Amino acid sequence: MDNHSHGRAAGQMFDYHPALPIPNGKTFMWLFLSTEIMFFAGLIGTYIVLRFGAIAWPRTHDVHLSEPIGAFNTFVLICSSVTIVLALEAAKRNKASEAKGWVLMTLLLGTVFLGVKAYEYQAKFAHGLYPWYPTGLVHEKADIHYAAAVRKRLLALKSQYETQPERTPEIEARLGVIDQISRDLVEPAELTVRNDPDSPEGRILLLKLAYAIYPPQYGPESAAHVAAANGFETFPVELVAYLHDETAAASGGDHGHAHGLNDEHPWLRLPIMVPGGGLWTSTYFLLTGFHALHVLVGLIVFVIMLTMTLGREQAGLIENTGLYWHFVDLVWIFLFPLLYLF
Amino acid sequence: MNFGSPETANMTDLGHKLEEDFKHYVADHPDDHDHGGIGKYIAVFVALCVLTGASFLTYAPWWREHVPMEASRALMMAVSITKAMLVIMFFMHLLWEANWKWVLTIPASCMSIFLLLMLIPDIGMRQNNGFARYSRDRLLWAADPPKVVASEDRVLEEQEEHPHAPAPAH
Repeated sequence: MDNHSHGRAAGQMFDYHPALPIPNGKTFMWLFLSTEIMFFAGLIGTYIVLRFGAIAWPRTHDVHLSEPIGAFNTFVLICSSVTIVLALEAAKRNKASEAKGWVLMTLLLGTVFLGVKAYEYQAKFAHGLYPWYPTGLVHEKADIHYAAAVRKRLLALKSQYETQPERTPEIEARLGVIDQISRDLVEPAELTVRNDPDSPEGRILLLKLAYAIYPPQYGPESAAHVAAANGFETFPVELVAYLHDETAAASGGDHGHAHGLNDEHPWLRLPIMVPGGGLWTSTYFLLTGFHALHVLVGLIVFVIMLTMTLGREQAGLIENTGLYWHFVDLVWIFLFPLLYLF
Repeated sequence: MNFGSPETANMTDLGHKLEEDFKHYVADHPDDHDHGGIGKYIAVFVALCVLTGASFLTYAPWWREHVPMEASRALMMAVSITKAMLVIMFFMHLLWEANWKWVLTIPASCMSIFLLLMLIPDIGMRQNNGFARYSRDRLLWAADPPKVVASEDRVLEEQEEHPHAPAPAH
């Protein structure tokens, strides 16, 4: 074909300039990341509105959030960002085995992150913190509906154990605990509220029921301050007995874990009062769940990459995967203070 | 690039040739920061760890007793934004990229900031103030509002000094 004469005869050929001086894969990865920015900005913006527009919000220890674990997870993700960057540098220098080693390190660190997240989720589920009924046990306040829910749960347990064919000593002991809770905590509260609805004694007894099942985690001094600020002139001394940790009182810090009835008897799984807990469980599991899904997708890509030879030819692939992974790290950098430290 | 030559006659071939030329260019011309670049990444890593530790400091009891919650939150957001800028500029390489990065970053930043600003009235509408009141259902079912804020000791000191002043809002 005589293209020379064609070209010159046509007079001009248009000048082909690529829109961006980067490969298509990188362009599209950046476009995808901008959609992901919109996705997480929407979620995080919603969380900010709900959290700061909420009447009450649980404190971190009340919902078993551990700031050191969150900080450790942040550190793990930062390390994994460094390792994927080092993998890219190795691939650019055509050091395929070194690059693969760094990708493997990134995969391991990401797996550690997911494992720690799974441990945290398990701790929440074990305490009944779950986004919806009936697996979740969360009530917003200690009112008559809460007391009724506790009573219903106790009745359900009682009928379950009483219809057992064989009444072992353990079942007898459990029935004894159920009777004691009903007699000492639930019935006084419900009767007092019914007989004298406007008195503060009823509210104190309902709070006592709630604190017995799921005590506040900030030590007896904090509970005393909270109760005093809410209008109780004399702090109910019995409540202090439920808050075990002496070291918390001595150091004024938040050490130790106050045990309630749900901790002493895990089979009870009584409804718990966590002010703001419903919205908290919804937003926490949604935000961290979506983030964990994104981490999982990244890990799948790393596994696929481990089957390849990661030389200079694959530097583009590693770069694009690294961009995605850095974005996942970025989201966690914002999620960690918003969820754990605010 | 010689337009009008046989290898550029077909536009698809031209596209492929550009890709190949680009790849060879990248391979033959590693980034200027490549030698000694690993040191930069390690420096950024150390900075990120220090910043994470700084935001984690707000968890310490002695910090919470002496620093107001609002200042802590402002510090945490500043630390987060700094960490994000470090990751974006160095790990995602944007510091060294060409001007196309502005096409990407400026609209995305504008949209993010606009989104957060436009959500501020929503926070106000969900509170009990002059513009919005809690609905009856919310008053019935929502949790009791706590009267104590961040540093309970500080609030109780203020209440001792001014026994009739209302406690600050949540």
